[in-house]
Amino acid sequence: MRIVIADDSLLLREGLQLLLTEAGHLVVAAVGDGPAFIEAVLTERPDVALVDVRMPPSHSDEGLRAAVEVRGQWPDAKVMVLSQYVEVSYANELLATGTGGVGYLLKDRVSAIDDFLDGVERVAAGGTVLDPQVVSQLLVRRRADDPVATLTPRESEVLGLMAEGRSNASIAEALVVSDGAVEKHTQRIFAKLGLPPDDAQHRRVLAVLAYLRS
Amino acid sequence: MTYATVPNAHAIPSAPSARIADVIRRFGRESAYLLLGFPIALASFVVVVTGLSVGAGLLITVVGLPILAGTIFAARGFAQMERMQVRGLLGRDVPVIRYRRADPDAGWFRKSIAPLADAQSWLDVLHAFVGFITATVAWSFALTWWTGALAGLSFPAWGWAIPNGPDQKDLPELLGFGHSYLVKVLFNVGVGVFFAITLPLVIRAFTLLRTGLAQLLLFSRSETQQQVDELVVGRTAARSAEASALRRLERDIHDGPQQRLVRLSMDLGRARKQAGPENPQLQATLDAALGQTKDTLEELRALSRGIAPPVLTDRGLRAALEELAARSIIPIDVDIDLPAARLPHHVETAVYFVASEALTNVAKHSGATQCVLTVALIGNDVAVRVSDDGRGGAHLSKGKGLLGLQDRVRAADGVLNLSSPDGGPTVIEAEVPCGS
Repeated sequence: MRIVIADDSLLLREGLQLLLTEAGHLVVAAVGDGPAFIEAVLTERPDVALVDVRMPPSHSDEGLRAAVEVRGQWPDAKVMVLSQYVEVSYANELLATGTGGVGYLLKDRVSAIDDFLDGVERVAAGGTVLDPQVVSQLLVRRRADDPVATLTPRESEVLGLMAEGRSNASIAEALVVSDGAVEKHTQRIFAKLGLPPDDAQHRRVLAVLAYLRS
Repeated sequence: MTYATVPNAHAIPSAPSARIADVIRRFGRESAYLLLGFPIALASFVVVVTGLSVGAGLLITVVGLPILAGTIFAARGFAQMERMQVRGLLGRDVPVIRYRRADPDAGWFRKSIAPLADAQSWLDVLHAFVGFITATVAWSFALTWWTGALAGLSFPAWGWAIPNGPDQKDLPELLGFGHSYLVKVLFNVGVGVFFAITLPLVIRAFTLLRTGLAQLLLFSRSETQQQVDELVVGRTAARSAEASALRRLERDIHDGPQQRLVRLSMDLGRARKQAGPENPQLQATLDAALGQTKDTLEELRALSRGIAPPVLTDRGLRAALEELAARSIIPIDVDIDLPAARLPHHVETAVYFVASEALTNVAKHSGATQCVLTVALIGNDVAVRVSDDGRGGAHLSKGKGLLGLQDRVRAADGVLNLSSPDGGPTVIEAEVPCGS
């Protein structure tokens, strides 16, 4: 895949570049601030773009705003935001930019290289990838009469993985069960929560997230 | 060879001739201050006493208050005159007086009675009374000593011209020194010498008495006020420096050790992948190293959040509070009414930590099923309130969190209130002023 990366730390740009190159991807641009990221993505039109949140010139949420800006100008852009911190509100803003092709991960996750590369590919394919920390924060905040409370532990686990943006196959792999078992779990979850069953992965994630945020 | 030019030795103030000139100049100024003091103090006393009596007597009519105010303005004028003189005599910096002013938008009546509410103005009035007494006493002594010295010393020049009838008895004669002209001259000159020698002491003593009174009544309040002002300025500077330093520290941790650790974890991850499945021992070691790195990153993140939460630094109070609410385990209602502009850093930090600590408390101890977070800018204060429907019993002395919170709020000039009867509900409220 052709990839653009943006991080103001040379150390991390290099690290990411090495890691992606070793995995057979091509880093077409590596930049260090928000405006340069927007320009690089709009000219290079990469398969996926990775962007850090805290970058120059503002040194605040520059990367997030750049990601939103890019998706505004090129709705098909696939953007994975990486950060030292994950904030639920940032995730919400990112998800609000359109249908799929977004990711939001803690930078630590990069070290689990296969999972990380898998996430990048899912975003490039139009999927949604959310950091487990965001998901756990969404899951933890429930009302007493919540149907989520009626889920079995295994079903809760599956719900969390669905919210992270994983496909059934990926969930099956993570839980070391068969695809069929996951399929059964997801159907039961959708029934309990009163959500319409949906195979399109991003719509499914959005439905789950919308439910969790409500 | 060159020599540095030595400045003119006469310019150095400690040269004896210069010192003598200084002493004489000061003596002259002090004498003038004491001798002129009485007429000024008398005028001041008469004006103020009359004004106060008339004003107080007419208080029940509308004109009483303006007359009182006018009197106070007059007292201020006389006090300013005294201050100018004292300033010249002390030869050092004395504080500038700031009288309380009426609101510029106030009506003429409010403006005209504004001086009545000013404490320094009433001290000025008091000085018109007490200062009159000291000025009179000081003037009497100064006049007596000057006259005694001048008249005694110059007696030989005019003593012969005084008619000296047979019935007339001079003081020396009464004291039994005889009645010769020589005795008279010697006696009078002796008296003159006594007055002349003690004159500087007397002048100095009464000058000190009057300037001391002036300092007490006319300056000391302003001096205190000025010290308070300086302390306030100093503390404001310290506070904003602390808030900025903490935010910088958070950024430094982010840009330094955190980035390096992330890079380290990336490289360890790559090494683990490169090691391949045929080398399980190496993989286990690398996994352990990765685990350590992740834990360290997690700890650093927790540390940073405690110093200055990144979302607060990057996006301000509203976003940080919304994030807090989003993280709340207990269902929460949020009502935030804040301006779009950023508030002072120390205010944002204090309000954020009140909300954060209170919500942590709700989650850990209250057993509540619902809580409410309200934050609003009311006037110049940010008011933050966290209430829950839990079992209550929270106390400021219990647990270091809430006590530390009280210190934090106090340091920002705010107040923290906790109401948590047994059985609930618990309400934590704080108000933090946005500074002057």
